[in-house]
Order: sequence, then structure tokens, then C-alpha cells
Amino acid sequence: MIINHPLLGPRDSEEFVYLGSADLINRPTNWESEEAAEDFYQYLYIRENIAGDNRELWYHEQGDQSWLVVTRCTLTHEIKSVELAQDVSRAQGRSK
Amino acid sequence: MSDYTIVKESPLGGAEHEFDGVTVSEVVDQSLVMIAMPNGKAEEIEAAMSKSCGLSVPAMGQSTQSADGSITLWRLQKNQVLAYYAYESDDAEANIAERFNAPSAYYTDQSDTWAMIRVSGERSRDILERICPIDLDPSVFTLGSVSRTIMEHIGTIIYRDGDDSYVLLTMRSFGRSMLHAIEVSVENVL
Repeated sequence: MIINHPLLGPRDSEEFVYLGSADLINRPTNWESEEAAEDFYQYLYIRENIAGDNRELWYHEQGDQSWLVVTRCTLTHEIKSVELAQDVSRAQGRSK
Repeated sequence: MSDYTIVKESPLGGAEHEFDGVTVSEVVDQSLVMIAMPNGKAEEIEAAMSKSCGLSVPAMGQSTQSADGSITLWRLQKNQVLAYYAYESDDAEANIAERFNAPSAYYTDQSDTWAMIRVSGERSRDILERICPIDLDPSVFTLGSVSRTIMEHIGTIIYRDGDDSYVLLTMRSFGRSMLHAIEVSVENVL
């Protein structure tokens, strides 16, 4: 499987480590509120089991150590887009 | 108590092996200094190193040379460059900081943490393509290209420093394993 790294070009998936759903970027920030326990429960444990395009986090451990958001079709393993997780996170208004 | 003297030794003891069409040798005369460029300071640092050494920050996966050709800069990550240059004393960090005259960058001497092996000769690509997952075709991995990848499960930086010459860098502790991997590839190919 080849992942087309946005900065480095096509790379073998052997260089990467898979983490899981890209939803992990959206860590709740309301830890003091009443709903915090429920929000963190949802954040940590509840996942959609998607048959189709899934956005997931990959880490380029044996490369430039960047985190990527990879959109992969779980039915065909086709990789449809690759973005730097940093860019995705900043586009959502997070600081890092 | 006896008097000990500490003797400086390169990671691979200056290993050098000649094969038919390929030479595998340790690179012992180069230093490597990481230059970290903090957020928002990249332009200032590039201007300073351009003024002092005629260096520009290379594109990702590429390298640039200083005006006098003595320093090569590698770019493997967004916010840092690596200076690869012939220097054998122990103060490479201070030396490069002085030559760059860019005080807002952070310098780290990495020379002794890497084992550097040069694979050169007309059959060098035949040897490397067995262990290297990136495309080494001369038109793709052009002269001066640099990349970080894995070979034989070992994290490796590969730099093309000549038409048929490549320098591989692995962590010092993996140096002998890398040398072995290259030698096995030589046996398999030649």
C-alpha cells in the first residue's frame, strides 16, 4: 500500500504506523463541565464502523515523523486523500 | 589507579570494502549539525545564512550548497535543516553557528550519533534497490536528493552525493547491522 505523503511524495505504508480514527484530533476541551464525562466517553470509546471512506490518523514514524490524516476506503483500501494532521487541526481552529 | 586514555573511534572503525563495481566505505570526515528553525523565524534565518554562507533553505527532500561548496544543507522536515559538511573536530555545533551567524536558530551537533556509509560505483543502485523502498531511478532521485526511509527495518537517511554514489546514515548503534545488510545485498547481486 502506498501513501502519498503531502510533503515527501509516495511512500510505502511500511514506514507508517496506524493510530485510528481522525476523530481523535477532536479531544474535548470542556473537562470542567457537567457533560465532560460523557464527552470523553464518546471521544475515547465510541467509533463508527464505516464501510466506505474513513478518515484516520497515520504516523510517519520512519520518515519525517509527521502525523497525517488519511482518507481510506475500507472496502477497497483505496487511499483517496492525504493531509498533514497539523493543517487539518489548524483549519478546525485548534492551536497545534 | 591506572591512567586511562580515551581514543576516538568512528562507529564502524573506518570500514572499507571493495567489490566488483561497488565500493562500500565508512564516511569519517563529515559532521552533521541540525538547525532547528522556530515558528516565524525561518525567513530571518534563511536571510542570515544566505548572507553569511550563500545558503538557501532547500525544498523538501532536496539539498543546497553554500557559495564555496563546503556546506551541504539537507531538508527532511518542515522546520529544520541539516548541515552536512567536511569537519572533523569536536565543536561542529559552535563552528556552524559561527559560520551561519543566524542566532535565532537552534543548533545540535549530531555527528557522532550517526554511522555514515558510502555506497559508490557503477553497480551501487543495483545493490541499494534490493533494500531501499524509495525510487532510486537517477531521473527521480536526482543528484543532491535526500530522503529518510527504512532499509532492513532500520531507519535510514539516504543522500545522493554523486552520479553513482550514495551516503546512508543510520543511528550509530545500528551501523554494523546496516553494513551487514549492504554486504548481504552485495553478495546477492554480484
